[in-house]
Amino acid sequence: MKRIPTLLASLLLAVGLASTDSAAADERAPIHFGAIGWESGALTTEILRLIVEHGYGYPTDTLPGSTVSMEVALARNDLQVIAEEWAGRSPAWIKAEQAGQVFALGDTVKNADEGWWVPAYVIKGDPTRNLPPLAPDLRSVDDLKRYPQVFRDPEAPEKGRFLNSPSGWTSETVNSQKLKAYGLDTLYNNFRSGSGAALDAEVGSAIRRGQPVLFYYWSPTPLMGRYDLVRLEEPPFDATAWATLTDAKHPDPKGCRSLPAKLSIGVSAPFRTQYPDLVTVFEKVDLPIDRLNKTLAHMSETRQPARDAAMAFLRDNRAVWKAWLPTEAAAKVEAAL
Amino acid sequence: MSAGFPEPLQFSFAEWVNHGVDWLVLHHGDQLRSLSDHLLQLLVSLENLLRLLPWWLVLTLVGLLAWHASGSLVRALVLSALLALIGMLGLWDKLLQTLALVLVSTGLCVLIGVPLGIVLATRPLARRLVLPVLDVMQTLPAFVYLIPVLMLFGLGKVPAVFATLVYALPPLVRLTELGLAQIDPSLLQAAHGLGANRWQRLRRIALPLALPSIMAGLNQSVMMALSMVVVASMIGARGLGEDVLAGIQTLNVGQGVEAGLAIVALAMVIDRISQAYGRPGR
Repeated sequence: MKRIPTLLASLLLAVGLASTDSAAADERAPIHFGAIGWESGALTTEILRLIVEHGYGYPTDTLPGSTVSMEVALARNDLQVIAEEWAGRSPAWIKAEQAGQVFALGDTVKNADEGWWVPAYVIKGDPTRNLPPLAPDLRSVDDLKRYPQVFRDPEAPEKGRFLNSPSGWTSETVNSQKLKAYGLDTLYNNFRSGSGAALDAEVGSAIRRGQPVLFYYWSPTPLMGRYDLVRLEEPPFDATAWATLTDAKHPDPKGCRSLPAKLSIGVSAPFRTQYPDLVTVFEKVDLPIDRLNKTLAHMSETRQPARDAAMAFLRDNRAVWKAWLPTEAAAKVEAAL
Repeated sequence: MSAGFPEPLQFSFAEWVNHGVDWLVLHHGDQLRSLSDHLLQLLVSLENLLRLLPWWLVLTLVGLLAWHASGSLVRALVLSALLALIGMLGLWDKLLQTLALVLVSTGLCVLIGVPLGIVLATRPLARRLVLPVLDVMQTLPAFVYLIPVLMLFGLGKVPAVFATLVYALPPLVRLTELGLAQIDPSLLQAAHGLGANRWQRLRRIALPLALPSIMAGLNQSVMMALSMVVVASMIGARGLGEDVLAGIQTLNVGQGVEAGLAIVALAMVIDRISQAYGRPGR
């Protein structure tokens, strides 16, 4: 019986020794990126890693985690970079930013957007698939009042179904308030989709079957690049109206477009002091949203690994990333492509 | 491809599965949707029926049922009080939605599980074939089959019932089979000798003797069905799970605990009543 603990102990020792050996082999510890699960985050992560590895020769790797756990890890410098950070949206991030533990660099995707969408065939029809235009005059959220029957909810057939984001997301509160503000809450069922995967699956399935569907979504995402979707017009953004939308308990909300999203690169405080060269690059990163959506669509359609998609993006959009880098680093990345 | 294993021997069938699911959605999606609409009607009408009843009537009915089942007034009062507590937490409507979901799924579980258990107990070949399937049902991560099911049957209650069924059915089948297999064969032979036919032997001898085991299986099914409520809410089925999920996602631990305890309370109510009905010699 005594033999097993001894065996285990020696095994542990061996593993320990082996790991210190390999750590000694790399003179520089790799830069840890958060392994973001959603497509745009995964692609941005790989684009940045390729630039850091080839342009500057720093080793990198990725560690998986949920959004909140990655933000907490960044604050403790267990991670050094989160390539797509919707800064200022989560309490964990705000706390760490106030404590000076994390920094949001740059404005990586301009015109990142969220809103209410319908597939274009609902408005224009699609002769190739024999789909009639079910809601030919649908332009803005106000027009939805005329078409609840188009988006019929099978659970409550007298109403339409608005596919909201999962409960617990900030956008869920905003959308619920918007339904009230636009006078649609009596005509449409506020259907929370439960999880991001469920929302994707339902929208994807409806579009493939050519069925009408009204849903909340955001960009940059593969869905935006992959299908012809129409965003319903809303009144322009207005700060006071926005405050009534984000407050779930506000009795009389006013509708307006959502606050434009700001996507940044999140870095830890030690990273910021240790790699000033990379910080300058990260601050300049600017991914054009149309090309990003197209790359994401191709990546999800062909189920391409994010690293290959990032390589293809760098190859096809040289002008885009060369603007961020000093000539010398740009030449090194160019050579590696 | 991953290192450490010879590359020529590696393969992936992910593409086939993807194509298969796409093909199903494209060609049979609409038919399956209309099928699922029928099941949905059943669920929604049960839910609406429950909603029509005033709260005090539901509590009284549960109390009466518990009293009738167990004969104990204290137990009846405690169980109604548990439900009333959920109402006081402001979760009454969600409770009814969850109750409808759990009732339909456990009902289906009994309809499928008990006969399947009987078949397994009498047919060794079926037993050998079905037991591995039950293992798969219990261990395959729910999201693996949920997302395709959702694409085919639509978001919401129907895939939720499906997922609950997949997860909660195995214990009932296994314990029904076990209960029947453990009956002393001489009893059945004696009944045979007295001229009882197959059905009579099953109905009068085997099932009553196996009842404690079957009821233990039902208990497990109910518990597992309720534990699936949170997963069900991740695919758009409303109810108590929705609050648990929202509580977790917004770090609102208190809200999560309230809804979580409501699920526990509901589980206890359903279990105590059904177990009291299943007790032998009642």
